[in-house]
Amino acid sequence: MATGFLTDTTVCIGCKACEVACKQWNQLPADGYELTGDSYDNTGHLSGTTWRHVAFIENPKKRRLTGDVDLVALAEDVTEPLPGGAELDALGRWAFMSDVCKHCVEAPCQQACPTGSIIRNEFDNVYIQPDVCNGCGYCVPACPYGVITQVPHDGRAFKCTLCYDRQIDGLEPACAKACPTNSIQFGDVEDLKVVAEERVRELHDKGYTQAYVWGTPEVGGTGGINGNHSKFVLMDEPEAYNLPKHPYLPQEKVKGGVIAGAVAAGVLGAVVALAFRD
Amino acid sequence: MSEATRESVQQSNGKVETSHHPQTDPKRNDKHYYGIPPIKHAHWTWQIPVYFWIGGIGAGTQLFSTVAQLLGHEDAALKRASRYTVLVTMILSPILLIWDLGRPERFYNMMRILKLRSPMSTQSWSLLTFGNLGGLLAARQAAEDGLLGRNALSRLLLRLIPERLLSVLALPFGLFVGFNTGNLISATSVPLWARNWALMAPTFLASGTSTALSWLSLVLHLTRSGEAKTLRALHRAEKATIVIEAGLIAVSLVRMSRWGKPLFSKSVAPLFVGGALVAGIVAPFALLFSGRETRGKNILSSLLVLAGGLAFRFSLIKAGRISADDPEAYFTFASGESAPQPEDKV
Ligand code: SF4
Ligand code: SF4
Repeated sequence: MATGFLTDTTVCIGCKACEVACKQWNQLPADGYELTGDSYDNTGHLSGTTWRHVAFIENPKKRRLTGDVDLVALAEDVTEPLPGGAELDALGRWAFMSDVCKHCVEAPCQQACPTGSIIRNEFDNVYIQPDVCNGCGYCVPACPYGVITQVPHDGRAFKCTLCYDRQIDGLEPACAKACPTNSIQFGDVEDLKVVAEERVRELHDKGYTQAYVWGTPEVGGTGGINGNHSKFVLMDEPEAYNLPKHPYLPQEKVKGGVIAGAVAAGVLGAVVALAFRD
Repeated sequence: MSEATRESVQQSNGKVETSHHPQTDPKRNDKHYYGIPPIKHAHWTWQIPVYFWIGGIGAGTQLFSTVAQLLGHEDAALKRASRYTVLVTMILSPILLIWDLGRPERFYNMMRILKLRSPMSTQSWSLLTFGNLGGLLAARQAAEDGLLGRNALSRLLLRLIPERLLSVLALPFGLFVGFNTGNLISATSVPLWARNWALMAPTFLASGTSTALSWLSLVLHLTRSGEAKTLRALHRAEKATIVIEAGLIAVSLVRMSRWGKPLFSKSVAPLFVGGALVAGIVAPFALLFSGRETRGKNILSSLLVLAGGLAFRFSLIKAGRISADDPEAYFTFASGESAPQPEDKV
């Protein structure tokens, strides 16, 4: 059975319980009190010490509210024309998204790893064996989503393990357990796929026609990656969440590169041989 | 839902227009998340480009000396210079690579598995093979040169090490080391590198060969050794590889198109344009193709090519970092229409 995540960003409230739960359970060091100045997101991105990261997508419209504004209505749905005769074309965007390792079906990091430290475990999750990794750092630029980094002072690369240890004990990952809105769901990828599709249909029926699933072979898990075991329900273009629309499996090009290199070797060999002719 | 909202939903046939909607949000042109890089750059600093340079010299040296040997051109000075060059490069390369590891004491884990799709893995294995074969050849050379003394060990080495066979065996591994460094950087998600996947390996090998030829010619000129025929062949090959290298870099730049911009950015342009292109290609080209060949000119052009080769590798690594840190570059690269496909035509 393959397990994975479904992160439904439409119900995320940005409480960061997942970030905290992940740090606690996995005993990850703090990243320091750095204020980014970007919204309430002071973590910024995923890294070897941040395996869940809540993005705060904020783009307020700088328009004045006039008239008798029904703020409750505004908070529930932003409609046009606004209730109470307010003049405001939109409330601005304010969205949250809890990012995590995508646990790719054809994982670039795993294919890049020269030590075989990165494996697929029995739950079909992409897992770094910390006792094997020698910190070459090659998985870092290979990941099309910027998930892995090497941890300073340790030297090795780390990322989400999908709580391998908890899964072995029959528990769900710490982030999914802690999530108060069920934005993070954990389970069999096949089941989650159905849940995701249902959720998107439901959102479409409600009028949110822009909702879609990210992490499929069509969007997010493209270019040979063949889909992701961590899927997301998104409401905006992937780039707004710092996700690529159409990433590639970098190792698809290795064979062609080797053939090109071999041809070049032949040509250069012939050039050198010709140079010896009198 | 409030009454008013419910009404408007019913009026608009179940559709709710929200600010989430990209089309209804005219101010939304920010195709990034606060400019934070969506991918992570490689940590490589100076060890890796220096290794690329040294490995390229080792590969090209093996190519030239083996071809000379196969053509029946036995030049003792060339052979000596090549064998020791390969030995030194193959001692330095693993040192640089292990230095670069986060956990250097675990370097041997590279040898627990062979993964054909991982250029880092094939690189380690080819380096190991090439290094050991080169080491054996250098040991034989040392015995021949009397560096090990005239004893039983030297005689044994001379008798047991089949020179021709090992040179020929080492050649493909050496060439692999030479071009695979290109695949090592192109098999990543970094737009500037990945975009040029088809030409990265040939460019690295051509540049490695030209630095190796310059190195050999420099050594032979400085020690005033080497047969006239060797030097003539070296200079001819030097000229040809410089032209090939220049052509490959030009086509690579076309191929990289907009993603190649970091090579011309403020911090990389001096290295790339000034170092790799002008000092490494244009100047030696002018020196080699103008007027009569003199020893001084040849030495100068060799030095320029060697410096240019190093600058080329540094500029590619530095530009790769800028490319990876640029959300706009990655998002346009990974947008679907323009990114490289395996079936892409170059
Ligand atoms: S998202 Fe990155 S780190 Fe996670 S499995 Fe895919 S390539 Fe590996
Ligand atoms: S840093 Fe570790 S996990 Fe990443 S590629 Fe190197 S050995 Fe594998």
